[in-house]
Amino acid sequence: MLEVKDLTKTFGSLTAVDDLNFTIKPGEIMGLIGQNGAGKTTTFRIILNLLTPDRGHVLWNEGYLTTKTFNKIGYLPEERGLYPKVSVENQLLYFAQLRGKKKSEIKPLIDHWLEKFEVKGKKTDKVKTLSKGNQQKVQLISTLIHQPELIILDEPFSGLDPVNAELLEDGIREAQANGASIIFSSHNMNNVEELCNSLIMLKDGKPVLNGTVRDIRQQFGRTKLFLESDLTPEELRQFPGVQRVEKTNDGIDVAYLTETEDGKAIFDAATKNGYIPTFSQQPPTLEEIFKRLAGEKNE
Amino acid sequence: MSKYWVITKEVYKKNVKSFGFAVMVLSPLLVFAFIAGLTYYFSQEEQQAPDVSIAVLTENESINQIFSNEEWGFEIEKEIGTETEAEEALLDESISGYLVAEVENGTIDAQLVYTDDMSELLPIIQEALSNYQTMVRADQLALAPEEVMALSEPVMIDEQYVNVEEGSLTQEDFSDRMIQQGGAYFVSIAIMIFIMTYAGIIAEEVASEKGTRIMEIILSSASATNHFFGKLTGVMLILLTQIAIYAVVGLGAWLYFKDAQIVQDLIGGVDVAAIFQELMGYTLIFFIVGVLMYVVLAAFFGSLATKMEDVNKAVTPIVFLALTGFYVGIFAFTAPDNMFVAVFSYIPLFTPFVMPFRIAAETVSTFGIWMSIIGTVGFAIVISFIALAFYRSNVLIYSDTNLLGTIKRSWSIMQSNKKAKKLNHSA
Repeated sequence: MLEVKDLTKTFGSLTAVDDLNFTIKPGEIMGLIGQNGAGKTTTFRIILNLLTPDRGHVLWNEGYLTTKTFNKIGYLPEERGLYPKVSVENQLLYFAQLRGKKKSEIKPLIDHWLEKFEVKGKKTDKVKTLSKGNQQKVQLISTLIHQPELIILDEPFSGLDPVNAELLEDGIREAQANGASIIFSSHNMNNVEELCNSLIMLKDGKPVLNGTVRDIRQQFGRTKLFLESDLTPEELRQFPGVQRVEKTNDGIDVAYLTETEDGKAIFDAATKNGYIPTFSQQPPTLEEIFKRLAGEKNE
Repeated sequence: MSKYWVITKEVYKKNVKSFGFAVMVLSPLLVFAFIAGLTYYFSQEEQQAPDVSIAVLTENESINQIFSNEEWGFEIEKEIGTETEAEEALLDESISGYLVAEVENGTIDAQLVYTDDMSELLPIIQEALSNYQTMVRADQLALAPEEVMALSEPVMIDEQYVNVEEGSLTQEDFSDRMIQQGGAYFVSIAIMIFIMTYAGIIAEEVASEKGTRIMEIILSSASATNHFFGKLTGVMLILLTQIAIYAVVGLGAWLYFKDAQIVQDLIGGVDVAAIFQELMGYTLIFFIVGVLMYVVLAAFFGSLATKMEDVNKAVTPIVFLALTGFYVGIFAFTAPDNMFVAVFSYIPLFTPFVMPFRIAAETVSTFGIWMSIIGTVGFAIVISFIALAFYRSNVLIYSDTNLLGTIKRSWSIMQSNKKAKKLNHSA
């Protein structure tokens, strides 16, 4: 279990991480979102012991992270890199050895992993001969092959096509099933919604969102109303609490409400003649919440 | 296997197996073979020079005999008998000159008409004729051959090459000093070449891992200390491998060729064992410490670079340091007593370049030598740890600012980490 408590890190006058708290239990996945420069990578670096926090601490299974714990970590940095002139196999062996594995333990696993991630190319190929996507997969394998208990992925989905993104999701879920604690950052809110048990959004180092995806969305209220009815957009705009109305490509009206309660009057008016095909009152999507919070000025 | 060795092995294997290593090892050998071949070719060329033909016009059979000897380095055109013929031959360039010589009352009256081709042969001809004149006169004076020998015997000088040192004269073997100076010269060039090569290798190793973010994976797998020293060890092992290859090739070549004519021609008078001994002494210490020191610096500067492309820029300070040392060393070669040279020989970064020349010129005491060695080793250890301390934070900075900016930021990260550690301890 990973516990991050009261974590604060400053660089001169800049507060990179400000009072961050979270816990990831075995088998849980946490998403860390935030704009560039929000403090995600600094958080990862503190967890990895590359940086020392000014305040607070990181505990792994109730102890401090030491060089011994390093062997249980799988880390995928934001910008990918492998040794271009080294073969796929030797590369995987080297990184696994650095995680305390023996060559003989990893060697038999390599074929299986290359197959699982559908890497095109032989394990004896030099990395530079592989396509960029395949190189990325090799790096993912090197993050996971030593069966880490703590997995840290910095923007793992960036640059992956949907098929490969799904392979990665499968890999993450498998590690989750094996009981790993996983934390990843992403700009793609779909990945976060699909995978995460919980999430934290950082803004200027401060956590502005913290909880399960469902709870977070709910706390913003069901303020987004999808409606297919006889009501025209003009009529919709007349209801109290309606901020604006849009039409989707499918001809569905989307009304943005101030509060959840504002939906009731619209429902009554829309259904006064009985059946309507669509009335769905939803909390904002993560992406909308993200954009809204990221755009807000600091108080 | 500890992670330190995993890293050492990886660095070693990756580099030794590379094409670059083969080129690096082979190119000095090829250059050496090329120079040796060229030297041999020219020395052969010089020996078999008799392209020059001359005519000797004389009634004296003995003079004719003297110049018929092949060892003079020119050919005698025997067909030519008169000055007219000789002039014609000179005009159509079939001879390079002609000698007219007559002996009268024990005096040789000689006239030489010659072109540019022959100018070098002048002293030879004069010496040959002088010797003959001596013989003729000795004959006239009825001297015995022993008496002639006694007359022409040169004076033997008993040479004593001495050194003025602390008010007394010390005797010294001149060839020893030549060998020592040669050794010093060799070492300063070798250090220069090895520093340039290996500083480049380690700086590239570090910068490429940093640039590709492999560094972050490695530093979350193993401690920075393990990584830094593992890399240094790996690179030093590559260096030792290169030297070992040269030692084996050199020894093999020596055993195989030592009796061959070409080798005798090239290094005939040189005492190989003495050179070897010289290289094994202080010089070896300076070589190893010198390269190690600069490799550590290169790792440090390499860790400042953000991308591979910046490596050359990052190692520029090292190149300048090494060049400074090298030129002061060359200066020390000609002026080992200079005050400036003496000061530089105790500055650790320059000691390996300068001190060997002072040792060769014997302008430094044994105490001074050991002081400089201890100073240099101490300095190498200190900068290793400073470099390591910076290395930890350097590798996390990806900025496009200049080197100083990066060092400053690295320093502030270091300070913030230190402060944080202290706070955590007291909390």
